[in-house]
Amino acid sequence: MGFLSIGARSFGGVLPWAHRVMVEEKRWLAPGDFAEVLALCQFMPGPNVGNVSVVLGRRWFGLAGAFTAFAGLMALPLIWVFGLALLYAEAATLPAVRAAVTGVGIAGGGLFIGTALKLAKPLAGKPWGIALAVACFGFIALGRVSLFAVLPVALLLSWLLARRNLV
Amino acid sequence: MHQIALYFALLSLVSVGGMPSVMPEMQRVVVDVQGWMSATEFTQLFAIAQAAPGPNVLVTALIGWKVAGPVGGMVALGAFCGPAAALAYSIGGFWDRMRDAPWRKVFQRALVPITIGFIVSGGYVLATPGGPEWRGALLAGTAAVLLVFTRLSPLWILAGGGLLGALMF
Repeated sequence: MGFLSIGARSFGGVLPWAHRVMVEEKRWLAPGDFAEVLALCQFMPGPNVGNVSVVLGRRWFGLAGAFTAFAGLMALPLIWVFGLALLYAEAATLPAVRAAVTGVGIAGGGLFIGTALKLAKPLAGKPWGIALAVACFGFIALGRVSLFAVLPVALLLSWLLARRNLV
Repeated sequence: MHQIALYFALLSLVSVGGMPSVMPEMQRVVVDVQGWMSATEFTQLFAIAQAAPGPNVLVTALIGWKVAGPVGGMVALGAFCGPAAALAYSIGGFWDRMRDAPWRKVFQRALVPITIGFIVSGGYVLATPGGPEWRGALLAGTAAVLLVFTRLSPLWILAGGGLLGALMF
């Protein structure tokens, strides 16, 4: 049930809400525990908070718990987002609405770039790491090369650099 | 629909760093390769997902819906989350025990530059649906700067983007 309320309230990102409900309100987890599970899930593929729900659901209630937690997290936002999409389909005939929604999307793209810049702090003073990030951008965004071609090469290079403490 | 399910399942397994890392690849396939929608429509669907509560993976449900109806939406979301969740479910404990293993630390550091390159790419393709031009660059650049240098809530930044978008485009 906790995950249902996290999903319902999580405007502007799930993480802060997940922390508030699970650590501060329900006291299911100690703050350090939360950080550890999150760190684990950030380095696994998939949506971070979705993975947190699966890992914690399993820890407490096994397989059924993992499914319930995940479904609880997604259910209400899914209904909401489908409702918004229907509404938008009605309103999309108005050029001003289309322009505003495009503006939100572009600002969202800007938020991605800002987030990446925040994440890039550990790369300060590591020219090889910066070069690799720029190369990834060049191939993916400008060259439109498939991620499945870029990822193995980039990962190999980065692994070699990381072993020499260059990233 | 099986095409989208299969592709999203594959993306799921390489989405280290979450949804933003595979955003550019998703846009490339949906817009350039398959032609399921225009780049502007893709950016608009992303905007709708941002304006809703919940994890940003919901954009996969919107893409699936656009391509194959409401059922397609559920299938796309499940395909994108399922494989990664199964992985989290099965290796969660193992990965946790390896917390202090040297190779895991090397791996984590190795992922940093790649993830950053991919996320910036995602931002770039979302912000330039009609090719690079000054209005979009101004809007996206302002949003990025506000996020990095102020404590303004992202929701206000998105709302401002909507307002400016209505005025500029």
